[in-house]
Order: sequence, then C-alpha cells, then structure tokens
Amino acid sequence: MVLALYWLPSLAWATEPALQLHGFASQALVWTSDNRFFGDSPDGSLDFTELGLNGSWRADPRLLLATQVLVRRAGEMSDATPWLDYALADATLVSAPTHRIGLRMGRIKNPIGLYNETRDVPFTRPGIFLPQVVYFDRVRNMMLASDGLMFYGERYTDLGTFSATLGAGLPLLDANVEWNYLLDDHDGELEPEHPVPLLSLWYADPAERLRLGLSGAAMHSRFDPGSEAAIGAGNLDIRYWLVSAQYNAANWTLAGEYAHILIDWRHFRPEADRHHAIQTGWYLQAAYRLSPAIELMLRYEEGDADRRLGDLHLHCPASDHSRIWVLGTRWDLGRRLMLRLEYQRHHGGFTLSYRENPPGDGVVEDWDLFAAQISLRF
Amino acid sequence: MTPLASRRAPRLRPSAKSLICSLLLIWMASVDAQVLIAHAAVEVDHLTQNEARRYLMMRVPRWPDGHAVRVFVLPDEHVLHRRFVTGVLGLYPYQLRRVWDRLLFSGTGQVPITVTSPHELVRSVASTPGALGYADAPPPGFEVRIIEVR
Repeated sequence: MVLALYWLPSLAWATEPALQLHGFASQALVWTSDNRFFGDSPDGSLDFTELGLNGSWRADPRLLLATQVLVRRAGEMSDATPWLDYALADATLVSAPTHRIGLRMGRIKNPIGLYNETRDVPFTRPGIFLPQVVYFDRVRNMMLASDGLMFYGERYTDLGTFSATLGAGLPLLDANVEWNYLLDDHDGELEPEHPVPLLSLWYADPAERLRLGLSGAAMHSRFDPGSEAAIGAGNLDIRYWLVSAQYNAANWTLAGEYAHILIDWRHFRPEADRHHAIQTGWYLQAAYRLSPAIELMLRYEEGDADRRLGDLHLHCPASDHSRIWVLGTRWDLGRRLMLRLEYQRHHGGFTLSYRENPPGDGVVEDWDLFAAQISLRF
Repeated sequence: MTPLASRRAPRLRPSAKSLICSLLLIWMASVDAQVLIAHAAVEVDHLTQNEARRYLMMRVPRWPDGHAVRVFVLPDEHVLHRRFVTGVLGLYPYQLRRVWDRLLFSGTGQVPITVTSPHELVRSVASTPGALGYADAPPPGFEVRIIEVR
C-alpha cells in the first residue's frame, strides 16, 4: 500500500494557498524474541500500519479550520477503523510583535511533551516507536486528544519564547484504558466524570536550540459496571505530569523526558476501598545526523509501575518495570519516502499491553525487538 | 639591493594580505547575500532576526496591514534554502521542518508552500499578495520588496 501510494502524483495542493491537503502512510514489520508487541511479533508481525489524511483551510488570516482522519492498526490494541484524529477551529485573537493569543475549539491533540501532538506520524517520531515508558501505546487514547477548548499564548522576548496552553476537554477513553488500569475489559462503561484540565508550559531560546517543557493533565473517570462485571462501581483518577528537555545542535539532537503518573482507585472493592499507585518513566535520547538524509539514534529508557495492584484483588501486572536500550537509524529517500530500522533490548515488560499479553500468560523478562518501517508522506 | 628588497617586501605583504582579505570578503558576501523578499505591496522593510524566524515558523498569520502571510520555500535539501536558513535566520533546516510538521500534523497551523526552483520562488512571491520568500540576491526583473533582516 505504501509503495502504491508512492507512485501517485503529489496530492499536496498548492494552487489555492488557503487550502492545504497532506497525508502519510507507513507499514512496519515487528519481530520480538518473546512477548507480544504490536501483534504476533514472535512470528514476525505486520500489524502496525498507519494512514493519515489531513486538510486545513485558512478561512481568514485569523481563523484556521483543520481536520485529520487516521487509520491505525496496532496489534490487538487498535484495529483499522477510521478515526477522527482532530477536527478543530483555531482562532488567533491577538497577534502582535511581542505576543500572540489564541483559542482552539473541537477535537484537539493534547500538547503534552515533545511528541504527543504528532505521535502517530512516523516522520515526527524519533524512532519507529516512541519511548514507551512515557508515551504508552498500550493506553494511548487517554492522552491522545480532548474534545473541548484550549487557550494558548506565546510571549516573544530577547531571551526566547515563553508559551502556555491551558485547556479542558473530554478524553477519548477506550477499552485499552480499562485493560491497563482495571486490568480487563470489564462489562460496563468507563466514562470521564468531567472535562480534563490540561496545562502545558514551554520555553525555547530565540534560535530554538534549547526547549524546556512542563505538561500535565488530571483525569477523573467513573466505572459503571454491567451485570457480568467482576468489580463494582468505582472511580479511577489519573494525574499525569511530564517534564521535557531538548537540545538542538547542527548534527546532534539530545532529548530527555520524565513522566510521573499518580493513579487513584476508589470504591471498586468493598474490602479495599481506596488504593493509589505511582508510575514513573524517563528516557535520554541522542540523535546524530550523519548527513541531512541519514540519522542514528540511541536511547535509554526506564519505567516502573506499582505492583501493589494485587491489594485491589485485580490481576497483578506480570511485570512492573522496564529497562530498555534502543538503537535506530533513519534514512530519508528524497522528500517523501523514509526507511527506518530499530533494535531494542528489553529487561522487563512494563511497556507491554495486558491486552496482548494476558496476565496469566506470563512475561519473559529479557527480550529483544527488531523492527523495520517504510513511510511515505504527501 | 638587499636593503631595498627587504624594504619592499613588508610593503608587498600587507597588499597581498589585503587582496586576499578583500577576495575573501567578496566571496563571503556572495555566499551570504541571501535576502528576504516579499510581495511588493507588503509594507515592511526590515525585521529583526527573531521576527524573521517567527514569520518562517508560521507564527505570524498576518502582516501589520492585516493581509494573510503566505510563505514560499525551496525543498529542505536545496542549497539556497540551507544557506538562507543557517545564514540569515541562524537556524538549522531540520528545526524548521520539525516546527512545520508539528503544525501540519496537529492541525494547529499551515505550512509554507514548497516550490522547486529559485526562479519559481521569486515568481510566486512577486505574484502572490502577502507572499514572503527568499532569494540568492535582489532578483532582477521582478517587482518584490526586499526586507532587511537586522
């Protein structure tokens, strides 16, 4: 499919500057020595496919309308059902030489960390997979986007640009959230109790060599059990904080992020009325550009969960930690085609989906991952 | 003869040095002569480097007169694009690509229109109201505004 698209003429319209249409497609091959990751990876999985089409129209210099449809297949975590990735109106309220203020309305990608807004676009990721200890693909929808409002502001000074985004919106909860935080796809509905507040603060020096960020969101949700549910009604609250840093040099880009996630369960079990756990994850990453077309990447990741979920009489996660070394390469073949290869050495299974690796199956602690990906943009 | 030669030599050396320096300066000037250009009706004749960066990063949707800003660029790998981005803006081309990709794939902005040749770039800027682009030198034969970057 990716290669077929390559032979199509460019679909990016430039004749009418106010309207822009673009897109991307990718196909990956994933092999793991043990454990399942994006499909039946021990046998070699092709179940990681991404396809996106987006359009934007500048109706007025101060008003932008934009939407993107995404088709994503990711093992058992995501089938290829087309999905409205974002659909928003962006109004610039004030634009001056020293500052800019605006408002976004609709389905908006959450501006969390260095990569979340464009996490499904292979060209914007540092590797085939984002660092899973921070950007969980096993529970991606929770932090992916919000249906709501976001105010943003930028202040330009001689020291650099200070930006802030403040918003509130309903998260897009799906079965993966239940699998990850209630450890099963229970009979019943997990719904957000009210719009999730979201905050994002960034600093960048004038030449954007250094970028520093702090992002956070607090989700409150309620589970209403069906008649078959093994757990009672309860509340699931998740507070997510992410600290980010990036340094850009001519040939090097260094990046690091630290995530702190506080999870609070209430009322699911009469015998364990309240329980909380803390998850942490961090990574350090270096990318070196051998030439404008070839890039090498090295990353170390650590993630830790709280095993005391057993106190809730839920299934205990098979693995509560991950230590991961990642080595990757990117090769841009012209403006539209990109090839990637990646090797990961894992100790632990914190990043694995419980949906793909049911708790009863057990997790092999030391395992390897090889992946290759071809991506196209237009 | 010897004293004369030794007297001449010091006079010649600075001349040779200044000639080399002049040639070097001319060469550097020719290398760094890229200019920011805009549609002739744009009423801006100078920008600071930081302001120019913000226009190219698509953070400025309107000119001071209210017209929409339309940015035209060459492909990332084009030598003129690389020279302009590093020499005039003080950025690396991959940084601009990253900023543009974030806007494009998050729906929070539009990206510059990429044209294939310097000639097409100048022609597009000259014929599109509100257009902004760059050239290797003030382009002869086209009516565009040169914006000084200070």
